[in-house]
Amino acid sequence: MRRREVVQFLGAALALPFIPRGAEAAMKLGAELHLRLGDVPFRTLNREQQALVTTIAEMIIPETETPGATSVKVPEFIDLILTEWASDDERAAFLAGLRDIDTRAGAMGSTRFAALPASKKVELMTALDAARGDKTGAGLAFARLKALTVYGYFTSQRVDQEILKVQMYFNGYQGNVPFTPAV
Amino acid sequence: MPPMTYDAIVVGSGISGGWAAKELTEKGLRTIVLEAGRPIDPAVDYVEHVLPWEKRYRGMGDRKQVERYQPIQGHTGACDEWSSKFFVNDLDNPYSFPEDKPFYWIRGRQVGGRSIMWGRCVYRWSDLDFTANAREGYGVDWPIRYKDLAPWWSYVEKFVGIQGRRENLAHLPDGEFQTPWPLNAAEQKARDILLEKFGGERVITNARLAVLTEDHGGRQKCHLCGHCARGCITLSYFSSINSTLPAARKTGRLTLRPFSVVHSVIYDPVKRRATGVRVIDANTKQMFDVNAKVIFLNASAMESTRILLNSATSEFPNGLGNSSGELGHNLMDHIMAGGATGTLPWARDRREIGNRPDAIYVPRFRNVKTKHPDFLRGYGFEGRAERAGWDRGSEMPGFGAEFKKSLTGDLGPWEMSFDGFGEMLPRHENYIELDPHLVDAWGIPALRVNCVYSDNEKKMQADMAVSATEMLEALGATNIRPFKEDNPPGLVIHETGTARMGRDPKTSVLNGHNQMWDVPNVFITDGACMASTANQNPSITYMALTARAVDYAHQLLNRREL
Repeated sequence: MRRREVVQFLGAALALPFIPRGAEAAMKLGAELHLRLGDVPFRTLNREQQALVTTIAEMIIPETETPGATSVKVPEFIDLILTEWASDDERAAFLAGLRDIDTRAGAMGSTRFAALPASKKVELMTALDAARGDKTGAGLAFARLKALTVYGYFTSQRVDQEILKVQMYFNGYQGNVPFTPAV
Repeated sequence: MPPMTYDAIVVGSGISGGWAAKELTEKGLRTIVLEAGRPIDPAVDYVEHVLPWEKRYRGMGDRKQVERYQPIQGHTGACDEWSSKFFVNDLDNPYSFPEDKPFYWIRGRQVGGRSIMWGRCVYRWSDLDFTANAREGYGVDWPIRYKDLAPWWSYVEKFVGIQGRRENLAHLPDGEFQTPWPLNAAEQKARDILLEKFGGERVITNARLAVLTEDHGGRQKCHLCGHCARGCITLSYFSSINSTLPAARKTGRLTLRPFSVVHSVIYDPVKRRATGVRVIDANTKQMFDVNAKVIFLNASAMESTRILLNSATSEFPNGLGNSSGELGHNLMDHIMAGGATGTLPWARDRREIGNRPDAIYVPRFRNVKTKHPDFLRGYGFEGRAERAGWDRGSEMPGFGAEFKKSLTGDLGPWEMSFDGFGEMLPRHENYIELDPHLVDAWGIPALRVNCVYSDNEKKMQADMAVSATEMLEALGATNIRPFKEDNPPGLVIHETGTARMGRDPKTSVLNGHNQMWDVPNVFITDGACMASTANQNPSITYMALTARAVDYAHQLLNRREL
């Protein structure tokens, strides 16, 4: 439920002290401040790195009957984090790890990861997944890429609204509701 | 500018200042509340319903801004991409500590203070706590006992609106409770198992929270969005902004002045009374005086004492009202970051609906009936059982369609955590003083903090990990991860002491009614007044002490004794 709807839904609260002034203004301000990630060009990842990150992110969370990592702009989110959020050392370690992934793809007979046949991609990804505890190199880059893919995917607007259907208002707490996993 | 004159001055608009304002105005006193920070407009500033994708870093925080402007505040989790605006700019508000004694001072300077982002946990003390100093020879004896404060806890709890479960525990007295949210399926089973396996000694009870489960006093019941520290548009949790300041405003006797940085208390050595306070306008930096018959210092424990240290006179060269030499001393916090987390083997077919901001509490069980060999006093556990949801994905092996389906279609197992919060002993050698070389953005001398945990606290923290592991083992949990982190004091954000109450003016700053022994028309009812800190979260006790002190001050005013 969006803030505007919440404010309307909670109409009774509007009679309380401090509340009414500026609600519309606040929402307008929020809309203006909200950055459209799709409008931001890649600033850290070059074309080859974009292709590598996009390929791996989509393999972690692929398009199925629901959106995959690429269609909710996870690679763009990762670039934003690398550009504005990560420290210089963290960024350098990540990019070095990407190079290492391509180097390992080279050992499997390809120039880079994105050019590997599908079965080889899965083989290398499985090895990288097992190496997430590494402090440097391909294992480290994969661990961060995976964490950012999961985070970027599940905090995206589409996934929030279409899959998670995040709710912001509950009429009381229930702690013992039957649940059957959909897996 | 001629001095402004009121009946009463309240310095600070946080959790205790709001109560002082409400009580003073409701007793008929024209009261000015001087708040150092900016005003807050819930319609603009409360952001609890802003979703991650509406934030630039999706909730990961504006890391570089925090590192640059809030390097201290950034140590607390609540200083996040939504709520960092409620924490101070560390560059404007400096303080110092010896290199080998870090102290993280987490502050909020705005109308409402830290009552906007406080933890909302409210637990009464018992005489086990009030008598501890006298029994064990630490600090000074409290001048009050449970019976003195019990009616005032009831008084404030009725106004605050508190949910809790009655447990009839002598060492954690019940209060005035609304019906609590139920324990979830995993927590209920854990409660039943622990009650049986520990013979009733270790009790998982519902967290006692200043969060409404029923509409109360013009405020709506909580809608369980789960993000209290970002504000609350339905005013469902207690804060000064949501509750006490509106009540004070309703009297027509409240003047609330934001951007008013109190520099010092003005003392008349002839009358031996304070005449008012000296204030710096935060925006213009112009200095002016405000006069009143009675002054309540509620600027937060260390800020209230800082004001007094900055109010030295020839009679009180080491700080106003410091004839005891104890002003600034006996600084305490709690100790946390000891406990354990584990995976529960059951209730996979159950889920919860609604986001409780807090869930369970395990009241103190050490040094209650039997003496622990390693340490004095005790600790309680906050915690919860919850399913990890998609968050577990970054640590979970796998990738691809099945991996995705697992994260979107299942919630993962129940993880249960016990996080300890323990008592810190009052020690004279933990103290604050004025730093001779440091001033804040308004030119006011800043504090130097000298504070470390003693072996007693460290042993207690080690035991938190041990006893939490015991409980998880008793529950049949797997993947048990005990933890014991080396946090500096301050980070629990329960800093107390530095102007303690006591029975003797030679060894304490305040009497049994929070009144300064040396300056009788000055009262301190924030955390500074505490003679010990127990292990319970402190705010509800500040509220009760404040209401009690105002009642006493009002009696004195009526008798013309102030």
